[in-house]
Amino acid sequence: MLTVDAIDTYYGEFQALEGVSLKVEKGQTVIVVGPNGAGKSTLLKTILGLQKARTGSIKFQGEEISGLAPHKVVERGISMVPEGGRVFPDLSVQDNLRVGSYNPVARPNAQRQMEQIFSLFPILSDRKRQAAGSLSGGERQMLAIARSLMSCPQLIMLDEPSLGLAPLVVNMVFDFIQQMKKEGYAILLVEQNANKALKVADYAYLVESGKLVYEGDRDSFDKNPYIKTAYLGL
Amino acid sequence: MLEELLMAFINGILLGGVLALLAFGLNLIFGVVKIIHMAYGQFVMLGFYFIYYFHTAWHMPLLVAMAGGIVVMGLLGMLVQLLIINPLLNAPRLNQLLALASLIIVLENLAQVLWGADYRGIPISMPIIQFGDIFIRSSYLLAFLGAIATLGILYLFLHKTYFGLAIRSVAQDVEIAKGMGINPKVIYYITLAAGGALTGVVAAFFIPIYTVHPHFGASFTLMAFVIVVFGGMGNLMGGFISAFIIGVVTSITAVLTSTEVADILALVLFILMMMVRPQGILGAKA
Repeated sequence: MLTVDAIDTYYGEFQALEGVSLKVEKGQTVIVVGPNGAGKSTLLKTILGLQKARTGSIKFQGEEISGLAPHKVVERGISMVPEGGRVFPDLSVQDNLRVGSYNPVARPNAQRQMEQIFSLFPILSDRKRQAAGSLSGGERQMLAIARSLMSCPQLIMLDEPSLGLAPLVVNMVFDFIQQMKKEGYAILLVEQNANKALKVADYAYLVESGKLVYEGDRDSFDKNPYIKTAYLGL
Repeated sequence: MLEELLMAFINGILLGGVLALLAFGLNLIFGVVKIIHMAYGQFVMLGFYFIYYFHTAWHMPLLVAMAGGIVVMGLLGMLVQLLIINPLLNAPRLNQLLALASLIIVLENLAQVLWGADYRGIPISMPIIQFGDIFIRSSYLLAFLGAIATLGILYLFLHKTYFGLAIRSVAQDVEIAKGMGINPKVIYYITLAAGGALTGVVAAFFIPIYTVHPHFGASFTLMAFVIVVFGGMGNLMGGFISAFIIGVVTSITAVLTSTEVADILALVLFILMMMVRPQGILGAKA
């Protein structure tokens, strides 16, 4: 479904990604783990078109999307949950969701989609007229996830959804990811919390300082001695 | 005396409505595009000239000429986006300011070449309305009602349409807005078109009140800027409130002393605000 092939991304002269390749198949949950500053967020931004890859190719459903503007990429069915549950603080919960359905493909279904989301996240329904900035960190993360569902995506990319949340809330967020997985969405999840992320993963990649250093299915990841000590704390 | 003060208060409210409309476009452009449209008052001047020209040279009926002026100003707004703002979107703040400030000189001289330095106006006599001992100029009342109606329409546009929603989200966080599938360039064009059309609307309401000359716009740029900063830059509600404060204060001071003192007081108030609360009435702390 998504094939990233040997992309290089630069911030000015600084190279943030070096020959990174990865694949996400239909209905699969793929995770990318690695330390802070390894280039995980840059990877997602490059796929979405917020950053330009200098070389390499990004194909989504067989078509090249590298170099497209973000709004074109969103239209094709990729959505993103940004780091830290970045929502629009002065917009109401309802309006935040509505922005999620801005692209012309999603707009006709916005009303139905929103009703579904409200039944899935009753807390958002209770607060739909409240400014998103007044929500708690966990609620904001839920809203960001819900907002990404509004665009009728086929692939959802999540950037560190557990960052800064209390353990109980982190569990809730991962329950939702599990649920999205069951509903058949393809998921690309970037996380520092490797323990949690591995539990939902079908396939995993390890990125360190902009380079892919290991990849494998959940079991081989779990058993790799380096990953065990460095990332799983076992 | 009491009646005079009451009358000044009412006139201040009427003035406040027009000032609110004047400041709205400048505020919207700053909030969304994060750029200060230095030539905003000159846009009002151009709008005035276009309406004047359409009416006197092309013999359009006044209302048609006004509509034409509003449309032309909207297009000019987009042209400013295309030729000046787009190329400087990622340039340093100072370069953006200087480019738009030089637009002032271009537009004022353009107006002088096209229409000359004479004062021009469309003579319309509008009655003075009397309520008991209070007299209100109907031209001011009309401008006030028109301004409030226009602001109401803008409010609905911003809150009830997808474009309005996109404008508000780009104003808050342009990167995330991009990630939601919004093309900010399109939103910038819409914002500049709306801001430009608004200067046309303001000009239309000014027709029965003022005459125009090439330097007509300068004082309005300053006035709009003072209101916007006083209310909190980019905060539309703050601008609305501050327009009425400035309107009432200048109007009452003018009755008690003179219009010159009133202008001074408005600016003193502005400086005091900057010292006590630099982010303005409703602005967020930087």
